[in-house]
Amino acid sequence: MPSIVLWPITGSWQFLLQALWTTIVLSVLSMVLAFAIGVVVGALRTYGGRVLDLALGFYVDSMRAIPVLVVLVWTFFAFPLVIGHSLNVLTAGVIGLGVHLGAYMAETIRAGLTSVRRGQMWAALALGMSRIQAIRTIILPQALIRMLPALGSLFVFAVKDSAIASVIAVPELLRQTQVVAGNSFRPFELYTAAMLAYFLLCFPIARGVDRIYRRLAHLGSS
Amino acid sequence: MNLDWSVVWNNLPRFWDGALMTIWLSIATMVLAIPGGLILAFMRLSRMRLVAKPATAFVEFFRATPLILQIYWVYYVLPAYFDVQLSQMATAILGLVCNISSFNSETFRAGIISIRLGQWNAGRAIGMTDAQVMGRIVLPQALMRVLPALASTWVSLFKDTSLVSIISVADLSYVSLKIRTESFRIFEVLTAMAAIYWLMGYPQAKLVDWLHRRYKVAE
Repeated sequence: MPSIVLWPITGSWQFLLQALWTTIVLSVLSMVLAFAIGVVVGALRTYGGRVLDLALGFYVDSMRAIPVLVVLVWTFFAFPLVIGHSLNVLTAGVIGLGVHLGAYMAETIRAGLTSVRRGQMWAALALGMSRIQAIRTIILPQALIRMLPALGSLFVFAVKDSAIASVIAVPELLRQTQVVAGNSFRPFELYTAAMLAYFLLCFPIARGVDRIYRRLAHLGSS
Repeated sequence: MNLDWSVVWNNLPRFWDGALMTIWLSIATMVLAIPGGLILAFMRLSRMRLVAKPATAFVEFFRATPLILQIYWVYYVLPAYFDVQLSQMATAILGLVCNISSFNSETFRAGIISIRLGQWNAGRAIGMTDAQVMGRIVLPQALMRVLPALASTWVSLFKDTSLVSIISVADLSYVSLKIRTESFRIFEVLTAMAAIYWLMGYPQAKLVDWLHRRYKVAE
């Protein structure tokens, strides 16, 4: 086994740190997009009637069936042919990851919304609130707290899936690690360091969200 | 945009081979990851810290890092630094098995813990050894309970096999991306790739939903 050296990492630390930042930005943005999709799709499937439920269920189940890699590659290479102009890699990455994760988010949010008893919706309507108001001020806040653990694991998924965006050359951590590993011929040090970086990113998210949830769990019970 | 779908029809046999490889990889991985997951779960449940801690570390590590990086790591590091020569296929399966075993182990562990302690006590009271109670009473019930969760993992695994294309294992995505570069019919080939994954994955997703309804645990 050749000796382990640190110069490939220390020599490019700014480059790699920049890449780590891109990974964080990419994960957060795709999580935000997924959350927006999830709230709309989840709410419409729960309260929007049968036709919407079936139509949006088709989107959700399709995303559960198609790999992220395929969604990303399609978004970056094929989608621009449909709309007629090219996307930059980061945009394509956020859209691909967000649309894919959005389906899982929608299911999580739907489960959260249905877990709040129906009587609460009726009570809100009886008080003269509109459905949207009732969802926004009564149902969703409780549902969100109950969903916290699931949201935490989805966030971990967002970080891990962001590494797949390396396939369409988004300059995130895995991609730039490949670049440095290729230039320095030290794959062991570089890939191991990247592995540690992802672990240090994901593990605290999972544990932190669990901890926050234990603090807040009582707010979600009714 | 003028489309020419003939590239898809002309390459159907290659897509077919790729799809078979995807299915084969999923089955091979799951066949190995079920015993792998069980072993890890038993280790984590062990009272001996020397057995439990390494298993915990293994599981947490593989669950908190991206699979695509794990595959790269196995691919570049094992041959160069530990003098282990594996074929691309073996590398792919090794990466997938470590990852899926970790997820399975959490599923099994949850299932085993979910069986009430009273059943252990009852088993011991009628003179069974701990191994007998586990094998005949706890595990069969636990496995039934975790069947829906295992099925969900199966569908994720089916999708995740696409990542082995990065180390040139000729699965559906590798074959499709190759046909794309050869033919330049980007839109048609990529859409066909998505459609084939959809055709295979959609019924599986629906089956998982059915399993979840059918085997729902009512407490």
